[in-house]
Amino acid sequence: MTEPLHSGEVDRAEYDVERGKIREFARATFTTDPVHTDRNAAQAAGFTEVPATLTHTVVAGHQREQRKFVEMLGLALERVVVGSVKWTYLRPLSAGDHVVGTRRIVDDVQREGKRGGSMRVVTLETEYVDADGDPVVRLEEVLIERGEQR
Amino acid sequence: MRAPVKAPIGTVTDMRVVGPITQTDIVRFAGAGGDFNPLHHDPEFVATSGFPGVIAMGQMQAGILAGWLSDTFGVEHVRSFGVRFVAPVFLGDTLTVGGTITAITEIDGEARAELDLVVSGAKGPVVTGSATVVVAEV
Repeated sequence: MTEPLHSGEVDRAEYDVERGKIREFARATFTTDPVHTDRNAAQAAGFTEVPATLTHTVVAGHQREQRKFVEMLGLALERVVVGSVKWTYLRPLSAGDHVVGTRRIVDDVQREGKRGGSMRVVTLETEYVDADGDPVVRLEEVLIERGEQR
Repeated sequence: MRAPVKAPIGTVTDMRVVGPITQTDIVRFAGAGGDFNPLHHDPEFVATSGFPGVIAMGQMQAGILAGWLSDTFGVEHVRSFGVRFVAPVFLGDTLTVGGTITAITEIDGEARAELDLVVSGAKGPVVTGSATVVVAEV
């Protein structure tokens, strides 16, 4: 691993983007463009390597312990849902890339729920950088913890 | 790089139907992505959870929507993609995937289309989303 986590950083995922995993993920998401599964098709389309599908960063799940992470944020797992996720692409993630994604808290607020009771809304941002340290994709996740039932 | 596709404002005519969703589909996505929460594969655990049956992980529906988006516009032309999880997907659900171009704006010498996206099951939307993609100049 690289440097230790700084304040406000919750975890870090680091992996090689592999052609076989891109193929698995394309099939699991019913993605049919052959650029994701056929190197010749990818090169004919102007890519140097097979590009990953848009939500490939989900593979970080293989490295993460959701329970530990939720506890670390002081959230109750049974009351937490992922509200939304947004990816911003700086270039296509591709086979052969080695990326490091550090996840940090960018917002943590209490809000009044529509049906009364408060909820906690935690916004996390992960920036994946390549082997040169250049950002490739940014990911924003919003976690919602419903208030306790009274 | 492939040329951006020509796409007018309005509903994207090319939609996709996926399903009925099977346990195998969910297990395949778990293997690809690494989400082994038993809510997605273990009926005994699910019985203790309050859900009436095994549910798919939201990221599966998000990935299916993203796949339709990149198959339609080209993965290299997608600048951003976001999803909001609205309702759970159960085994046997059939999903309809599509989107609508709401605006096209010229930015940095390229035409960028804003899209509203939706994945619907029999009872309505399960995931809504938005995206910015590069399209051919109009």
